[in-house]
Amino acid sequence: MSTTVHADLYTHTATHVATGMLRGLRQIIRDTGLNLALFDGQWEVLERGTAAWLRSGHLTSLVLEVYDPGRPVGADLVDRFDFEIDYAYDNGDDGDLWLDGDAVGYAIRKKGSIPAWCTYRVVAQRTPGAPAVEGWASTTLRSTDGFTRRSTGTALGGGNIGANLSYYTRNT
Amino acid sequence: MSTEAVSVVARRISAVPARTSSEAWHAIVELVSEPGSAARADLTSITSIAAILISEEYTREAPIVVMPATGPRIRIHTVHGMDSIDHLSEETPLYGARLAEPGWQVSLPCGTADLTAITADLAGIPAVTVRDTGEGFAAQPQPVVPAVAGSPVIDLAEMRRT
Repeated sequence: MSTTVHADLYTHTATHVATGMLRGLRQIIRDTGLNLALFDGQWEVLERGTAAWLRSGHLTSLVLEVYDPGRPVGADLVDRFDFEIDYAYDNGDDGDLWLDGDAVGYAIRKKGSIPAWCTYRVVAQRTPGAPAVEGWASTTLRSTDGFTRRSTGTALGGGNIGANLSYYTRNT
Repeated sequence: MSTEAVSVVARRISAVPARTSSEAWHAIVELVSEPGSAARADLTSITSIAAILISEEYTREAPIVVMPATGPRIRIHTVHGMDSIDHLSEETPLYGARLAEPGWQVSLPCGTADLTAITADLAGIPAVTVRDTGEGFAAQPQPVVPAVAGSPVIDLAEMRRT
């Protein structure tokens, strides 16, 4: 039945994008010198939430927030990387699933290494009504005052879901 | 030609996007272990780490090698992309050859970029090791298991050829 096929394709696309975004965040953490074990140990929880909220259409962005625990709260943001979801994505490629590893590599090269004492967290921004997922808790993102957001373009996609990767630079 | 009398069972498991990488690992754990067993608990405890290896498609390039204390070795590859969707209905269960007894080992393939980090992640589970995708699996010494009449004899040297 065509409705079932459509639903399956959407679910598969959401799964592809969810896993692809987490691979991208992991690459950023690894290649900027942050502690990878923290992320690796949470992979299942991160993937469960990201996939669930993409499938339900509630996920608006997946954010890697890097901060300096030695600085006062409110002034501790060091770096930030966002995957922003586009649910109206259409690149005319007949639903192919793709991932551009160079887009992630470009963002890493622009940022360089991050001081070893910094830590990070992953935050999922969602629209109201998102289903609860075990292992996730509510929070508020740190202020990006004093930073400028820069986009690298769509980093991965398929079907009608795309994910645009952005990074932040501190204003001088 | 040198041969070793080791029987091998091969399976392919659908991964991303038919399943998330974590769901794919759970499917593998259910394939090779008995419900409630110590093996299932140990393998479930490393879901995040194993799922990362699946998400990076290292397990497409090289097999997960499961070696029960007795019985044939199990080689598991994951299937990715649109092929994973087609393969989902073609997965075959194991008939016996599961990790029912202590003494089993599992070897996970890993790319060079992740080898150090993943090895450290798995340090607490000695039965599970990680190897470079380009390397074969050298099992720890195990009791010799007599070959059963009719078991296939695999030329391992031939299998390792690329």
